[in-house]
This record gives sequence, C-alpha cells and structure tokens, in this order.
Amino acid sequence: MNILIIDDSLVMRRIHKNILLEAGVTEKELLEAEDGKAAWDIAQKVSIGLFLVDWNMPNLNGLDFVKKLRATETYRSTPIVMITSEAARYNVVEAVQAGVTNYVVKPIKGQALIEKIGKYLRK
Amino acid sequence: MRAQYINPFLKATMNLFNNYLGLHAEAGKPYLLEDPQDLKEVSGIIGLAGETKGAVVLSFSRETAIHIVSVFAGQEYKTLSNDVLDGVGELVNIIAGNAKKDLTDYRIEISLPGVITGSSYTMRWPEGIPVVCIPLTSEHGPFSINISLKDMV
Repeated sequence: MNILIIDDSLVMRRIHKNILLEAGVTEKELLEAEDGKAAWDIAQKVSIGLFLVDWNMPNLNGLDFVKKLRATETYRSTPIVMITSEAARYNVVEAVQAGVTNYVVKPIKGQALIEKIGKYLRK
Repeated sequence: MRAQYINPFLKATMNLFNNYLGLHAEAGKPYLLEDPQDLKEVSGIIGLAGETKGAVVLSFSRETAIHIVSVFAGQEYKTLSNDVLDGVGELVNIIAGNAKKDLTDYRIEISLPGVITGSSYTMRWPEGIPVVCIPLTSEHGPFSINISLKDMV
C-alpha cells in the first residue's frame, strides 16, 4: 500500500518517514510531497492507500487538499490522517467536516502515532 | 498585553521541549522586551491573524539551534544547514499551533513559519504592540520565546 506523507517541512517528513519505517512499512511504499499541490499531482499518477497530511502549507493547504481529494470518486473513502500543530477545537471540527478520517496534533511520539494510524496500515 | 495570552505559549513551549523532546528546559520570569530587536542569531517567526493580531518568535543562538534541531530530527547536524532552519520553523509552528488550544476566546489563524538568521537583522514586529520575552535555559544553551499579541478586550 502506498502512503503519501505531505508536509512542507523536510524535517517533519523525515521524522514521520522514520516512524513508519520502524513500524514495518517499506521504503518503496512511502511517497513524499511538500504541499497539497505536489501531493495532488502524485495522487493522480499513483494509487495511494493512506494520506498523512499537514494543514499549513504553501500553494495548496492541507484542508483544501482534503476537500479536493474527497470530491473525487477514487479517494472518497481512502483514510486521510491530518497531522498538524493546529490544536484548536474549531480546527479539528473543520478538518472532520472536510473529510479527514483522523486528526493528530503535533508533536506526537512515534509509538503514539502508530497507535493512532496502525489500523490504516494493516488494511 | 494580558498574562492570559502568554501562558498558552509558555505551556506549549514547555510541552514541546520537555515532554516531547525530553530536554530540561526551564523558564525564567517573562519581561517586556525593551528593545524588540534584542533577539539571538536564529529566529523562527509565526504571524498571528484573525480575531487577534501578533507574532511569535522562537530565538536561539546558532549552536543551540543546531543542537536542539538535532534532537528534534533524530540526527546530528554540525552546521546551520537548511534542515536546521526548517526544523526551527517547525518548532515555532508547533508552539503557535498548540497555544491556540488554550486561547479559546478567539479564532486565530497562524501563518507559515519563516526563519531569519544573522547578527544584525531587523524583525518587523506588529506596530504598537509590546513584545513579551520568556527566557529559557536548557542543557543546549539559553533561548527565548517572544510574543506580541494585541489585546482584544
């Protein structure tokens, strides 16, 4: 299953990538994008089984990316986990309304993240 | 600026550095930054907009930035590389985003982070709003979180 990590921070993408590799995901399954626009382009070419998406990004932010993705037939029900520093309650509500499957507030340790997203990895 | 605006940023900072990164950061007494340009060599900046206006700046010496981002990223950096600057931006982004949880009276939008470096840069703070500095110490050296937030009441 292909997993697309979308975050404008290179360091953050690397942290998430290392957590997933330690959880048994293979390098080949991991794809990266620096913003929603680049992620959209990848998702049109490659079938993605899980999206890990940041909120605040240039070009196309995480929220608008999720809305765009959910409007497609292909990704209507694919798991999308938003991993963001945005911790306000209204942010969580907005993200859920946009169609995220799960919402994770950074910073989150590796084990805690895997507990949150493990069920999507096993699909 | 009210103390109730400062506490959420202090709480988010302590959570990030101590609970998440496992450092031993200690906060000193907050004070009004008389010279708003009195920042260290590496500063991560987030602008705040929406129902309030302001900025948050996380400021490190060069060495402290390198060491703390090394802990954050889980890999050792030796120089102030683009990765380190990216990491500083992400740290201030986490602090600002987390602080919103406790600033419940307003809807606040946070900007993308920016990072500035050097020994003589000028930071453009929002005009007419005082800057409160919270000094911190850690095993990797001192740093500070600086907050300028317009009173809404």
